[in-house]
Amino acid sequence: MEMRSFSDRPPAPRVIGAVNWRGLWTLYLKEVRRFLNVYTQTLMAPIVTTLLFLAIFTLALGRAVQSAGGVGYAEFLAPGLIMMAIMQNAFANTSSSLVIAKVQGNIVDMLMPPLSASELALAHAAGGVTRGVLVGLAVGLAMWAFVPMGLHSPGLILYFAVSASLMLALLGMIGGIWAEKFDHIAAVTNFVITPLSFLSGTFYSIERLPDGWEAIAHFNPFFYLIDGFRYGFIGHADGLPGIGAAVVLGVNLALWLLAYRMIATGYRLKA
Amino acid sequence: MPPPATLTPPRRYGRVNWLGLWSHYRRGIHRFLDFAWESLGGPCVFTLMFLAVFVVAFGAEREIAPGVTYTSFIAPGLVMFSLCYTAFEMAGFSVLDDKNNRTIEDLLAAPLSPLEVMAGYVLSAMASAMMSGTLVGLVVALFVGLPVQAPLTILGFALLGTLLFALLGTLVGLWADKWDHYSFADSFLILPLGLLSGTFFPIASLPELGQALIAFNPVFYVIDGFRGAFIGYAETVAWQGFLLVALLDLLLACLVWRLFARGYKIKA
Repeated sequence: MEMRSFSDRPPAPRVIGAVNWRGLWTLYLKEVRRFLNVYTQTLMAPIVTTLLFLAIFTLALGRAVQSAGGVGYAEFLAPGLIMMAIMQNAFANTSSSLVIAKVQGNIVDMLMPPLSASELALAHAAGGVTRGVLVGLAVGLAMWAFVPMGLHSPGLILYFAVSASLMLALLGMIGGIWAEKFDHIAAVTNFVITPLSFLSGTFYSIERLPDGWEAIAHFNPFFYLIDGFRYGFIGHADGLPGIGAAVVLGVNLALWLLAYRMIATGYRLKA
Repeated sequence: MPPPATLTPPRRYGRVNWLGLWSHYRRGIHRFLDFAWESLGGPCVFTLMFLAVFVVAFGAEREIAPGVTYTSFIAPGLVMFSLCYTAFEMAGFSVLDDKNNRTIEDLLAAPLSPLEVMAGYVLSAMASAMMSGTLVGLVVALFVGLPVQAPLTILGFALLGTLLFALLGTLVGLWADKWDHYSFADSFLILPLGLLSGTFFPIASLPELGQALIAFNPVFYVIDGFRGAFIGYAETVAWQGFLLVALLDLLLACLVWRLFARGYKIKA
């Protein structure tokens, strides 16, 4: 004779609709808590580094450089430095997360659960965007204490901050999936991300570049991020912010498709 | 019954366990070279980016003093910054990594005196820094004319600066319990010391308060002396700065040695 009480019955599997919201949210929270846990490295260090850069460049160049747009050099420089911090941190969040998970082998904990490729990509990208925007906010507030910054167009500031975070978060995902060890991702950071972010008009108006180089700068998507973001503060841009906004949207769509395909096919993620 | 195999007699060594020190030192060098993209590539790219930005933004041929162009002014400072920062990173990273992985116990159990344990960390960090500094110097020399006026003085200041930062790195590695602590010291102590040191601007361009403050930064004397030995233009008297920092190195070395001897944060 078999009697089964209610509590002996195995739990019914959770019914998941078109989107696994709980899984998505859980993975996103993990990505955010990862960097909040080490806030000295992820929030305070960028503030200090950026303020040091501000001090160095204004002390060394402040009087010598004629900046564009009729604002002082510090006001020209500040938005570019905030943007650099946003980019480096958004990239670091997704790339380090994936490389660490791969090296330690706990990437399976992410691949096994019922999460689709787009959900995996979205949770990571959103984590990177959160870090980028938070770092941007923290660095911006700290900088405000030293540099008078106007707010010409808050909407554009937000658009370019989120776009930049997303672009670098996606690049970090692509780099993290491609890399097989920490040294690979360090190479990408050193030879791709740092040069592009340094040479994208953060420190000078690209009008100062020789003709050939100025044309090349227009092929650098980071230039549009910095230029548009700066326009949001000082109301002057080297290029056209509208075109910049369209360019970064297009680049982000392409990067999203690439990152999605890499996860969907399991490139360097599944044996 | 066969005679018992003869045991190898224990190795005998004199006042210094040279073989042990050498092994400890070589381990540090391997650790550095295993991450060559990061440890050698990083400083080169960083330095070139700074040079490029300054040249574009500032104009390469602008003179900051008669006969001294701005690029030739910052180039030696950038090399010294790489030297110092690599020495700090290598020493701090090695000590903290050994603590976290508990491999430091292997060193403490080995027949190495506290002075030898410290020397292994400090010397391997200095040698690593000299490698990356030399590479950075060569890369810079590709783009900027780098005269070499007093080679021995250059070497002297390079050793002095790397020793200072290798000791600071060892100290931070001993003190830190986790990477967050290391990062805190890096951001709030090492980067300000290294960057606000007259690498990027002549101190005459600073306000008076800034000039007074920078005189307390030992890195300022190292960079100024180092730069003077390259381009023959300096803001301080080289031998005075040298003695001052050498004294500081000595005091710091004694402190770190005593900490190793007491087992500060490394012995229960």
